[in-house]
Order: sequence, then structure tokens, then C-alpha cells
Amino acid sequence: MKVKFALLFVVMLALLSTSALAQDSVVQLTMGSWRVDDVAQMQVILDAFSAAYPNVKITFDPTNPPDYNATLRTQLEGGTAPDLFYLRSYATSRQLYEEGFLEPLGDLTGLMENFTPEARAPWATDDGVPYGVPFIAVSHGIYYNVDLFNELGLEIPTTWEGLIEVAQKIKDAGYTAFANASGDEWTIAEIVFMNLAPNFIGGFEGRQAYLKGERCFNDEHAVAAFQAVADIAPFLPEGQEALTYYDSQQLFLLGEAAMWMGGSWDIPFFESEEPEFAWSVFAVPAPEGQEQAYVTFHLDAGMGLNAASTHKEEAKLFLEWMATPEFATLLADNLPGFFPISTNTVSLQNEHANTFLSLNEGRGLDVRWAWEGLLAGQPDGYTLMQNGALAVIAGTQTPQEAADALQDGLAQWFEPAQNCAK
Amino acid sequence: MSRRFQPSMAAAHGVLILWALVVLLPVWTMLINSVKPKREIFRNPFGLPSEFTLDGYINAWTDGKFDLYFRNSLIVAVVSLVLILLIGSLAAYALASWRSRVSNFLYIYFIAGLMIPIRLGTINLFQIIQALGLSDNLAGLILIYTAMGMPIATFVLTSFIRSVPVELTEAARIDGASEFRIYRTVILPLIRPALATVTIFNVIPIWNDLWFPLIFIRNQEARTVTLGVTLLFGQYQTDWTRALSALSMAAVPVLAAYLLMSGQFIKGLTAGALKG
Amino acid sequence: MSDAVLTEVGQVRERAAARWDVQRRRTWVLFLVPAVIVYTVFMAFPLFNSMRLSLYQGKGLTPETYVGFANYTELFTNPLWRDRFFNALRNTVVFFAIHMLVQNTLGLLFASLLSNVHLRGRNIYRAVIFLPATLSVLVTGFLWTLILNPRWGMLNQLLEGVGLGALARPWLGDANLALPVISLVSSWQWVGLPTMMFLAGLLTISDELLEAARVDGASAWQVFWRIKLPLLKPVIGIVSVLTFVGNFNAFDVIFAMAGARGEPGYSTDLMATFFYRTAIAGEHPVAQPNMGLGAAIATIMFLILLAGVSLWLILGRERDEKTGT
Repeated sequence: MKVKFALLFVVMLALLSTSALAQDSVVQLTMGSWRVDDVAQMQVILDAFSAAYPNVKITFDPTNPPDYNATLRTQLEGGTAPDLFYLRSYATSRQLYEEGFLEPLGDLTGLMENFTPEARAPWATDDGVPYGVPFIAVSHGIYYNVDLFNELGLEIPTTWEGLIEVAQKIKDAGYTAFANASGDEWTIAEIVFMNLAPNFIGGFEGRQAYLKGERCFNDEHAVAAFQAVADIAPFLPEGQEALTYYDSQQLFLLGEAAMWMGGSWDIPFFESEEPEFAWSVFAVPAPEGQEQAYVTFHLDAGMGLNAASTHKEEAKLFLEWMATPEFATLLADNLPGFFPISTNTVSLQNEHANTFLSLNEGRGLDVRWAWEGLLAGQPDGYTLMQNGALAVIAGTQTPQEAADALQDGLAQWFEPAQNCAK
Repeated sequence: MSRRFQPSMAAAHGVLILWALVVLLPVWTMLINSVKPKREIFRNPFGLPSEFTLDGYINAWTDGKFDLYFRNSLIVAVVSLVLILLIGSLAAYALASWRSRVSNFLYIYFIAGLMIPIRLGTINLFQIIQALGLSDNLAGLILIYTAMGMPIATFVLTSFIRSVPVELTEAARIDGASEFRIYRTVILPLIRPALATVTIFNVIPIWNDLWFPLIFIRNQEARTVTLGVTLLFGQYQTDWTRALSALSMAAVPVLAAYLLMSGQFIKGLTAGALKG
Repeated sequence: MSDAVLTEVGQVRERAAARWDVQRRRTWVLFLVPAVIVYTVFMAFPLFNSMRLSLYQGKGLTPETYVGFANYTELFTNPLWRDRFFNALRNTVVFFAIHMLVQNTLGLLFASLLSNVHLRGRNIYRAVIFLPATLSVLVTGFLWTLILNPRWGMLNQLLEGVGLGALARPWLGDANLALPVISLVSSWQWVGLPTMMFLAGLLTISDELLEAARVDGASAWQVFWRIKLPLLKPVIGIVSVLTFVGNFNAFDVIFAMAGARGEPGYSTDLMATFFYRTAIAGEHPVAQPNMGLGAAIATIMFLILLAGVSLWLILGRERDEKTGT
């Protein structure tokens, strides 16, 4: 027994020592994030901040993306949340603000000047009170294996129909056309369906027509978007039902798949993997006969300030710094593929990121379809779109049925969908 | 009997060897591939590595702070177990000696917990842990696991103490020994096998629990091995050498402890099963 | 000595004994206090209080608006929740059935093979059979997802290697296969527990009884069916109940192999993952947990467990009465 009690004592001591970490005069802030891959890059940015403000140190503490929202919420409710944290756009953070977890930022220096109202909107109330600093945007497109395209004599397709022809040629040559797969269901929603959708629903204006009830979610445009998913289904890899996001990336990087419908955030990872071929990216082409093409340029993350933080002044220093051109440049250079949202235009040094950004030229830009307005009720638009796209790929629903399910689901709570012109 | 060839014996060996392969092949795959360069895993998944590398382990160790995770898991498991054994055996002694309606009721009250998983109370537990300021704290986990261990501890220990001959405790009582003294000098030494059983039945669920760390632990400093493995596995899906190293690192200490003590371990289990 | 004196002596003794008892009882109560407190505060009270919370609604940690049975009505009338609930319930039943069928039958088989004291290497076999149970569910879950990967996994390579390439499947991506496959992985991990319990049960059967049966000319098969199995009934009961309780709150293996959403398409969603999403995590990407509704799910799980265990107790009692023990 004596030994056991001694052990217990030692263990208790160890326990106490972890909770009582030494404090010094430098203010320590923590930053919550869902970007587990960006630890090293964010450290460079945060170090640059500490160089400018030596009395503030910020620790970057990311959580796995699927657990982030739940983690943040429990931390906020339990009073253990970080001082600063990444905010998802639209409904998710709006709810946090409405529950009083986020500090309103109306008086933050530089926020109004350096960001357009559209850029602020995903992290502001309907009457324009901001509760987050616009932080990063991500773009979407189709990565392709340049060497393989050259070898097979393929051109970058300019129409959707052309894309399907290219896919067929790749398949005939014995390669997988698209590396995308259903094993991680979110990838089908976010980087397949919502990547191609703007070209079929008519970008920002088209999307707003749904949100105003001028269109129903099962109109011919929505059906066309689901039909586009059906078009690429035969060109997905064998066993795609169980292949994860990471498996897909490997398929592309190993040269087995010629294309990957992906997001700009893949750039740093692809570069670090150093594939043995040249790769680049093109925009999802519009269907034949449609002049205007669109790119899903998603306002992805803002930065919020914990209303319960004990160091709000220091945290605001950081938020103000985020509005400066210096920050925008650091962000663009350290995290290629994550684009600064501020009006301070910066030139990107990374070639792949530049290519990605150049896709915006001459094309209409819009956020992902499900984000604005459609996440605020149950069943939410995201889940409905995801289920529909997956069912179309699996062949268990026709595009029309998938669109009908989307309309019916949203009509359960979303007023514009209930009153839309039939 | 054993000299004669028996077809039934051969069949028994056949079945058991087949199952041993089913068990050992995945474990072997995990261990052997964790020391291969990552591309070789796909070409040669079952063979010995052509090139031996510990990169996966080194990366997982430095990225993952496994020393910290192990310390946390060890603290949680050891403290919880000591508390379960101490508190549980005291209660069991009282329940075994005190025959009354109150003690009967308490006995049933404890035993009922065997059938009801504590997870169902998570929502309110969450509020209690928050109110006590114990979220993100190993002490919160320890208290939950101690409570979780009470039913099995009181169940096994009470029935064991009841089987201790009454003469032993009565003799001590007539000698004027205090109850605590009887508990310490007479009962504790006698119920060692039962304590081993209780330990075994608790150590596996506590060491391997993911649910409560997942919900209550958000701070890096307080992560347990299971939580650490979840995070690392998420990060390492692209690199199987690292992923398998992280898994091996989480598994090997327990595996080694088990193989070293499998004799006692299984004895404790079968003893517990007999009692049950 | 008169009778009166004798009674008086008796009374004094009794009184002394009573005082003695009061003192001892006080100590016993003291012994019980820590266990009762810890168990009540961190287990019994939260369990019951969570049920009370199922009558409340509200955002965040503490739902505060009393709504009667509205959460239950919502759960059973809103198709959104109802479909998820019955889907999770059905999956959990399948999960349990596969464990009973595979894990417990294998356990019985291994135990009866191992109960043969002449079997060489039985200690090694026992150790190997139990080995996966010492691994974390997460470790086995993650390990098997790698093994079952359709592109690079070892299983499909092995199948191709032995000329059975046609059997290769995207195991965890097929909505019909994923749940059985995960149940088998879980059975693989836990088969050691029923094996040990059956083995302990078999070892208590007296050798004389078995010897007598053999002398009477009973075959090994008959001995198993007519003698061993009936005597194992209580152990079978305990194993079934433990499997039932364990399976009805299984979470880790699904979390590790199919994610908290029970992918693909909720085909592996169990009661516990459904509860976790509803009460704790919320659905991606909104993540707005609904604690009141979650508490209602937990309460229903509680009632299911209670019903199952009571059924076992009643059946056990009836059997005892029949056999007169």
C-alpha cells in the first residue's frame, strides 16, 4: 500500500505542475484554427507580428477540420476557448455571434477601409455590424497533369462538353480521368458539386435568384448542376466509394489520375510532394453556348475575437494588423492558395497560386452555393446538396430526383423555397 | 492418450492456427510497414523492409508529443485505478459486512451501473465538469473513470469479501480490532486476486477510452494517447509510414505489457468471469 | 441463579453488542461515503439529470425552456430525425446481431477447443486470441481502414495474390458492406472476451460428469450439445447481456473507420454516433448541437438497455424456477 500511496502522491504532483505553468510579462494569446497543415507557415506570420509587437505572443493551436466547429463551441461554452480563432463564413459564425461568444468589431481600425462590404458580409450582421476580420479566400478549379495532357495530345477544354470528351480520351488511354471520390463525403459537396455549380446556375445573380424565391431549387439550372455531376461519375477512379480525400490526392500525385477537381488550398501540399510531372490548373468550363463562365471563389475564413478573452486589447492589435498590406503579403507568400481578401492588392510570388488567381479574370466570382442562407435550418442545404450529388454518383437518384429532394428539403423551413415560382 | 494421433486434435490446431494468422497478420503488417519507406508499403506490403527507416517514429514522436500523451494517459489510468481499488474495496467491505436494508439498496444501486453506460449521461456530465472547472483537465477524466469503475469494483469485491470465512473477521473483532484495521490487515491481503480482476476489467476501457477525452479535452497539454492518435492519423493519412508508426507507438507499450503478463492477465480474467 | 438474572445478563450483553454494532455501522457508513459520492455525482446523477434535460430545449450547454415531450415528438414525427433515428437503431441491431453470431460463436468454439487440457500450446493460443482486445479500438479501426483501402490496402492485394481478385471490393465505401465489415473488425478485436468467459465456464464443469458421459458412449459432439451447452447457459446469458450493453453504446470503431457521420450515407450510423452528432458535435458544416434532443436520444437508449437487461433477468428467473435452483 505504501508504494501505491507514494505513487499516487507523485502522480498528483505531476498533475498539479501541468496546470500551473509559469507566467511572464509577455501577453500570451492562442489562436484556434482548422488548418492542421499550416502550423509552420502560420508560425512565420505570427513571428512577424511578434517582431512588430514584441509584448504579444500568439500560439497557433489547430484542430482537425471535421472536429473544429464542435471543438470551438465546447471551448466557448466551457470558457476555455482561444483568444482569437478562425471563423467559418455565414451561418456558422453568425450563430456564435448571436449567442454572444464573439466581440463586435465595428470600431476596429482599418476594417472598414481595407475591405469591401461584400468581403465583410460573411462575418457581419444583416445591418453591417462586423464580428470578424475577413481573412482568407479559397478558389476552386481543376488541377491537371500537364505532361500527361501533352503526351495524350489534349487541350484544356473550353466547354463542359469538351471536358467530358477529354475525360473520355483519358479513360480510353488507360488512365483515371478524375481523382475525385466519395470516400470522404464532404469532398463531393465542396470541391465537386459546389465547384462546378456556378457555371450551371449562373453565378452570383443566379444564386441570389434562389435566395429570393425567384427560382425553385429544382429548376432546370439546379438539375443541370446535378446532371454535370452525373456526367463525370463514370470517370471517377475504381473503388471511389471508399477512397478518401488523401487517396484522391495520391492518385493525382502518382500520375495515375489526370485531373483533380480541387481547391487552391491543395497547392502547398502538392508542391511539398514534388510529383514527377508538371501540373497546373484550369477553371471549370461553362456549358456550350454560355458565354459567361464562373469560378467558385469562396470567402472561407475570417478571424474572430473571443468575447470572453482577458486580453482583448492585445488581440485587437493583431486584428488591426490583419488589415495591413504587410499582412496580406505575408499571407500570400507563406500560404499560397489562400488568398487575402483585403483591397490592398498584392502580387503573389507563387506561380501556381498566380495561375489559380488568374482564372478569376473575365469570369464571374461567387461563394459556395450552400453557404449563404441555406445553413440556418434543418435539413440544411449543404447536407441536401451533398446527399444529392452522392446519390447521383452512386446512380441511386437521377439529377431531377436529386434536385427535387433539395427543393423539398429546403421547403421545410426556407421561406423563399416555400414560395418560389412554380 | 496424447501419444496417439487424433484427427480432432489436428482439426483444433488447424482452426486455432488459422485464427492466430488472422490476428497476427494485421499486427505484423502494422509493425513491419511502420519501418518501411512510404512508397515501398504499396509495392511490398507483407515482406521485410528492403530499407529500414525510423523516420515515421521520429516524426510522430516530435510532431505528436507522444511523451506528453503517454504521461497523461498513464496519470489518468494509474490514479483512476488506485482510486477505484481504494474506494471500491472500502465500500465493498462495508457492503459485505453490513447486512441491512440500506446496504442492500446501495448494493443494487451500484450494480445497476454495470448495465447502464455512463456515456448516456454525457450531457449533464458535461455541465457538471464545466461547473467544477475540470474540463481540459485530467482530474475531470479521473473522476469520471473512478465513478465508471465503481459498479464492477463493488460487484466483484463484495462477492469476494463475502466468501472470506466469517471466523477470520469475527476473531479480529473479538480482539478489539477497529474496522479499518480489519480491512487493512485481514481483508486486503485476502482479496488480492479480486483486486487484480477489477484492475484488468478497468484498465482496458480507461486506457483506450476516446469518448470522454474527445469531448472534455481540447488543450494540447492534456491530450491522452487515443486523442493524440486521432489527431495524428488525421494529419498523416497521406504518409502511411508515419500513420503506422503513430499507431504502433500507441499500441506497442500496451502490447508489450500484455505479452509480459498475459499469464496473470488471463487468470484474472477467467477468475472474474467465474465470479460473474 | 434465577431466570431474571440470566435475562439481565443477556440484555447487558445485547446492549453492549448493540453499541458495538452502532460503532461499526458508523465506520461502514464512512467506508461507503467516498464511493457513493463519486458514483452519484459522476454517474447516477448525470444519468438521471440527462433524462430530465430531454424535457427542455434551448441553445448551448444548458437547455432551459421546459417543453414537455416536444423533443420526443420532434424525434418521432419530423422525418429528418425519425429516419436518422430508426436507421441508427436498425444499424445497431445489425451490429449486435453480427457480434452475437460471429464474435460469440467463435468465442464458444475457441473456448471449447482450449478447454481440452491435452491441447499443446493452449496458453499461446489463448494469449493470441485475446491480444487484439488489448489494443485501442482506434488503433485497430485505423489499422483496418488502411488494410481495407481499395487502392492500396493489403486485403485486396492479398486476394489478388491468391487469385481471388474478383472478390476485391471497396469494402468501407459500399453502403451494404460497410456495416458488416466494421462489425467483423469489431468482433475480431473482442472475440477474446467471450472466449475467456466461456473457457472459465467450461473449466467448472466437473470431469466426472464428462467422463461418465463418455463411458456411456456419448460422442464428443453429443457431450457438447447435451451437457456442456446446457451447463453454459448462465455464461451465455452474461456474455449476451455484456455484448448487448457494449454494442448499444459502441462509438469508437465507427468514429475511427467511418467517421462520426457513419459514412457512406449513414449506413454505419449507430445510436451512439447519432447521439454524439445530435448532442455534442452537431452536423457538418453548421455544428449546432441540440442538447435537449440529444438527451431524448440518450433516454431512449437507456430505456432500450433497461428493457433488454430486464428481459434477461426475467428469463433467467423463469429458467431458475423451472430447474428448481
